[in-house]
Parts: sequence; structure tokens; C-alpha cells
Amino acid sequence: MGFNNRLLRALSTADQDVLRAHLRWSELERGTVLVSPDEPISHVWFPESGLSSIIAMSGSDQGIEVGLAGRDGLVGMPLVLDADRTPHRIFMQIGGAGYSIDADNFRQVLDDHASIRKMLLRYVQAYSTQATYTALSNAIHTVEERLARWLLMSHDRQDDDEISLTHDFLALMLGVRRPSVTIALHSLEGLGFIKATRGLIIVRKRNELEEFAGAGYGVPEAEYERLIGQLR
Amino acid sequence: MPCFFLHIDDGTQRIEDEEGSELRDLAAAREEALGAARQLWAAAMLTGRDIGLHAFLIANEKDEVIASVKMDDALPEALVRRLKGL
Repeated sequence: MGFNNRLLRALSTADQDVLRAHLRWSELERGTVLVSPDEPISHVWFPESGLSSIIAMSGSDQGIEVGLAGRDGLVGMPLVLDADRTPHRIFMQIGGAGYSIDADNFRQVLDDHASIRKMLLRYVQAYSTQATYTALSNAIHTVEERLARWLLMSHDRQDDDEISLTHDFLALMLGVRRPSVTIALHSLEGLGFIKATRGLIIVRKRNELEEFAGAGYGVPEAEYERLIGQLR
Repeated sequence: MPCFFLHIDDGTQRIEDEEGSELRDLAAAREEALGAARQLWAAAMLTGRDIGLHAFLIANEKDEVIASVKMDDALPEALVRRLKGL
């Protein structure tokens, strides 16, 4: 059984077998909450498909996306770092499926297998780099540039060119009002980079989109490939 | 919650909101449009780019326009007074 999850793929066959003994297949529907703020994390997930969103909360119902993880990584990172909970909320923004492992079993695997622990720590470093570039992007880039970056990051974590996402979700991802998403999509569409229809965005010109996204895209991706392996 | 469409009138054409949003009531839809207008003005100030937008058209579930919010409605009063030389 081969993995689609890039992080699991990067492990040695022996390490994959250690984890495989504990992994359970889970369907991860859109909207599924994987981690709730300040509650013990029950499992670690290795998505094979779909995309999860890590949200920093502002009050009980507002927040902004601070990171995303799909087949490139795992959900439940605090457990890698010896923490049992996080103030963040993590949910599936694009439905998919993946493997889960119970938190206690996961801790035991990390204690017993330094090579697995090291690989997952390298992922935490790659993820941190992604988060710092999200901070950079939020501070200096326009909504259009941030949208381009976000679409590229999403595109990296799936096989086809169609990104299934509503404008409401995109507004949450980018921390902007809904009409700002409509306008930004309209601009990128006008440039011919994407085609946006109801609930679906099709990436048409990836290279141009990368160029447009500027400094927000590229460095975290290169860092991932240096630390772990092929991202796309 | 009711669904509202927030279309955008850029002076020459209408940029369609194809999906709509669930919002509490018309006041919440207006607030969403005003918030967007403020964000767009802020971006225009920061980048020095002109805004080719005129207004937000708020439509109900049947996609009938029931209200509009002008971009200018989002400007702070003190700025409007200054621009008018008052």
C-alpha cells in the first residue's frame, strides 16, 4: 500500500510500517472539525487528499486562516511538540480522506522511533516557514496577490486543476469581506490566470499565477522540498 | 438565515456575486458591503491605485436588487468634509 501523503512517503519503508500498524482510514468531509480550540487533541491525521485549514480565533465565531495542511503534512502538530492542545481551530475546508492515529499511540511511536520524530519535526519547521510567509503576505500583499498565493498552495496539494471552494471560505482564508473575494477573483480571471464559476476555481495559467503572487509564494515550498521532499 | 447577493457596479459593468452569502438581515448585508468598501479604499490608499468601483448592489434570494451601498458611503466624514473644502 503506497501513500499519497508526501510526509508519510518521505519516511523509510520500515518507519512507514511502524505507523501503518496504527493508522485508520477516515473520510474527511468538508467542514469536519479535526481540532477544537483548547480541547485535548484526540488524533493526528495524515490527509491523503483534501485540505485542512488552521484558524486563529478572534472571539468565538471569527478568525483568520494562519496555515493549511493537506497531503503535504499532518494535522495535530502540537502532539509532535509535546503539547496536547492548541488555541487554533482546524477543519477540512476541502473534503478528502486520510489516515488517523490515536494520540496515545502517536506519542508512543514518537518516543520509540527517533527517525519518525525527526521527520515530523522537519515538517513542523516547514509548516512554520509557511506560517511566517502568510504573516508576510498578510502585511504587504494585496488581496489579489494573497488570493493567487492561496490558490497556488491549494493547487500544490491536489492532482487536478479544479479547486472546489466557496467564496465564503475564501473570505475566511484571506481575512477579508466577501465582496473583496468577488473582486479579487474577477481580477485574476480578467488576467486569464483562472476561471471562476460557482463554487469552483480552475487554475488555467499556473506559471503566471506564481509570478503574480510574488514573494509570498516559493520560499516555503522550496523549504519543504529541502527538508522533506517533493511537494507537488 | 436569508441569502443575499452582493454584486458590484464598477461604473461600466456589473461584477456578479454568483454564490451569495447567508447573512442575518439587510443591515448585516449593508455592513458587509461597507466593510468591503473600507477594505478597498484602504488598499487603494496603500497601493496608490485608483478604484474603478462605484457601488455594491444588494440583492435578495430572488436576485432582486433591494439596496445599494456607494463606495463613497464608506469614507470617513472628516475626509468627505475636507475633500469638499468645508
